[in-house]
Amino acid sequence: MADATAVFFDELARQGRVPLLGDAVGTVRFELVSGSRVEIWRVGLDHGDVSVSQDDRSADCVVRGDKALFDGIACGKVNAMAALLRGALTFQGDPELLVRLQRVFPSPPARVAGSGGAASP
Amino acid sequence: MSNGLVQILDGNTFVVSDRRGDIEASRADPTGLFSFDTRFLSRWLLTIDGERLNPLSVDDLQYFETRFFLVPGTGTVYVDAKLSLIRRRAVGAGFHEQLTIFNHHNKPVDVTVRIEAASDFADLFEVKDALQKTGTYSAQADDGKLVLAYRRETFMRSTEISTTASAIFDETGLTFDVQLEPHGEWHADIEVTARLDRTRGQDDSLASARARRRENLRRDLDRWVADAPRVECDWDPLRTAYRRSLVDLAALRFSPPITPGRSLPAAGLPWFMTMFGRDSIFTSLQALPFTPELAATTLRVLAMWQGTRVDDFRDEDPGRILHEMRYGEMTAFEERPHSPYYGCADATALFVVLLDEYERWTGDRQLVRDLELEARAALAWIDEYADLMGNGYVSYQRRNEDTGLENQCWKDSWDSISYRDGRLPGFPRATCELQGYAYDAKRRGARLAREIWDDSGFAEALERQATDLKRRFNRDFWVADGEYFALALDPDGTQVDSLTSNIGHLLWSGVVDDAKAPAVARHLVGPRLFSGWGVRTLATGEGRYNPIGYHVGTVWPFDNAFIAWGLRRYGFKDEAAQIAGGILDATACFDGRLPEAFGGYEREATKYPVQYPTACSPQAWSTGTPLLLLRTMLGLEPIGDHLIVDPALPPAIGELTLLDIPGRWGRFDAFGRSRPGSSGPHAMR
Repeated sequence: MADATAVFFDELARQGRVPLLGDAVGTVRFELVSGSRVEIWRVGLDHGDVSVSQDDRSADCVVRGDKALFDGIACGKVNAMAALLRGALTFQGDPELLVRLQRVFPSPPARVAGSGGAASP
Repeated sequence: MSNGLVQILDGNTFVVSDRRGDIEASRADPTGLFSFDTRFLSRWLLTIDGERLNPLSVDDLQYFETRFFLVPGTGTVYVDAKLSLIRRRAVGAGFHEQLTIFNHHNKPVDVTVRIEAASDFADLFEVKDALQKTGTYSAQADDGKLVLAYRRETFMRSTEISTTASAIFDETGLTFDVQLEPHGEWHADIEVTARLDRTRGQDDSLASARARRRENLRRDLDRWVADAPRVECDWDPLRTAYRRSLVDLAALRFSPPITPGRSLPAAGLPWFMTMFGRDSIFTSLQALPFTPELAATTLRVLAMWQGTRVDDFRDEDPGRILHEMRYGEMTAFEERPHSPYYGCADATALFVVLLDEYERWTGDRQLVRDLELEARAALAWIDEYADLMGNGYVSYQRRNEDTGLENQCWKDSWDSISYRDGRLPGFPRATCELQGYAYDAKRRGARLAREIWDDSGFAEALERQATDLKRRFNRDFWVADGEYFALALDPDGTQVDSLTSNIGHLLWSGVVDDAKAPAVARHLVGPRLFSGWGVRTLATGEGRYNPIGYHVGTVWPFDNAFIAWGLRRYGFKDEAAQIAGGILDATACFDGRLPEAFGGYEREATKYPVQYPTACSPQAWSTGTPLLLLRTMLGLEPIGDHLIVDPALPPAIGELTLLDIPGRWGRFDAFGRSRPGSSGPHAMR
């Protein structure tokens, strides 16, 4: 299976400009832990312009959690806010940047797709 | 929430105790120390030499502070109390309790003071529904403190109890051995801290955001009251209600933990001390002439959490404004969808309504520019996601069939939407007020597009849609034989034909044809809807009418305030004043604090408004009601850079002045005087 986290950040980097991220300015560093390894992703936000890198420079908000958990967030299977509430995901720094960024986390795998939002038949 | 229970609150932290200050919660009982939807103390009992205390009196010093006067003993008659106590409690990041014991005897006295403490760490949802927990508990006592804790996987909550006085801690509480001199005193300060712990021991930013606040609370409250306009009136109950409303609104301000530094109104105590889309918007609309900053923060925070995904569990769609956010265990483990939950069919249109109304009052064009993307997404949601039946009307049907909301309008109880004969319609349901809000959102969105976003093409498109919606609505919802608008259309497009208070919201939204408005106004003040205190949610004679049914016969103060605004919009000044008069009369029966709802009984029959049994109080949009009624009585309306004043007062009020109304005009005074049989425009500064 493809690395959902890498796919997510690569896609974000490819988009470059994401109006949904609005007027947020700052950096968010993700520290994703698997065993003894910590994978770093650093996202820069500047009025809708997005940059992604894997360096560990300082950031305005640092988010930490298991890599497996974030793979779930990156493909829409895990809700980031619920994960924060149960302490599976933690953050330090400016939480508004994280609230901004969660807007671009994908939808859950659809039971029902398409517009109209109609209930399952 | 009466029954001798005492409650104090600050934001979403609150304490509900008995009149002694004690907490003895059962599983399904909303007493205790609560914070972020979790109960942090379910037991907090004070004894002296093993005896419980008796209350002499309770003083609510501030909304966040209460003082209990107590004496030992279990009887009810005291001939000669040798000791007395003052227990002073203030809410912050938990609470602070100051115990003072007085020895009134001329001999020294030795006593044992004991506080029993325990917590069940119940999620407020568990309290509401009496559910069981799955995590593990611990209690750790050492020299300086007692820590009660709860853990489920990575989810941890704890309560830390410490004191400045010498005490012995054990796992079920703390004990003081106290020696009192003749006519002496003894003091102890006890700190109870609610903690939202993390696995990595990093700073607890949720709690720290609150801890700094308590010192500033009193200063903050003074400033809040001083900044608000002043009311001068020859009728005392209105002055009392106004002051009460300002203080309660201050108490209900709530700073979401993930967006600290911004505060918006939480919905109400005890069940709804959290962010609600609809309630925050309605309350902000009510408070606009008084505290416009509430609207600004409501708009910013709701915009930040606007839906971006299609998520069936949360009933989320792109552009949709949230219904409710929760922070407890059940939400954390996705046993409830409130992270946040979006199942609400009105807040999205109302978001645009508030944005426009806010700019009309304040002239803050920058916020309208900042939120252009979100406002456009909200307007798009109305057409792309809310038209579930493909008939050009907003309707709702939950996709989360287990824990989602069936009725996604403000009347959200299960039986609120019914035909005249009491049958319940199927889903989707297109309730009438949703069409009114959508119409108003399009009209107001068009103004914003034209004047601020510089997009006349979008403005014209919205206006065309609004005109078409109004034309269709007046045709499809009009109940010709009753001369009112149907409550809803069912999935077949058939009218759900009950007579309800919802028709008043239609006047507020402006969707009613002028020719039909007089009949609507007559119904609102007519005998089937108007109880003498206010407009009933459902008219007498309807199949499900029940004067103490939550949304099927009770009178809701907030509902009435918007109805009065609607009547003013169509020029029915006397009818608006009649409703304002009834609701304001009711405030006098509740010491100025209107409950969420009260019974729909005829005023003549009960003489006193009967409070709905489990109604929340204080509740934000009831708290905001006297404010909006002040606006409607004075006929305040911003036009361009001016504030128009056009008073129409109820009979009880002879003179009414509102001083220093903030807005794009700076500060302005409005004055109204009753003139029998007439209510023409009056002077202003």
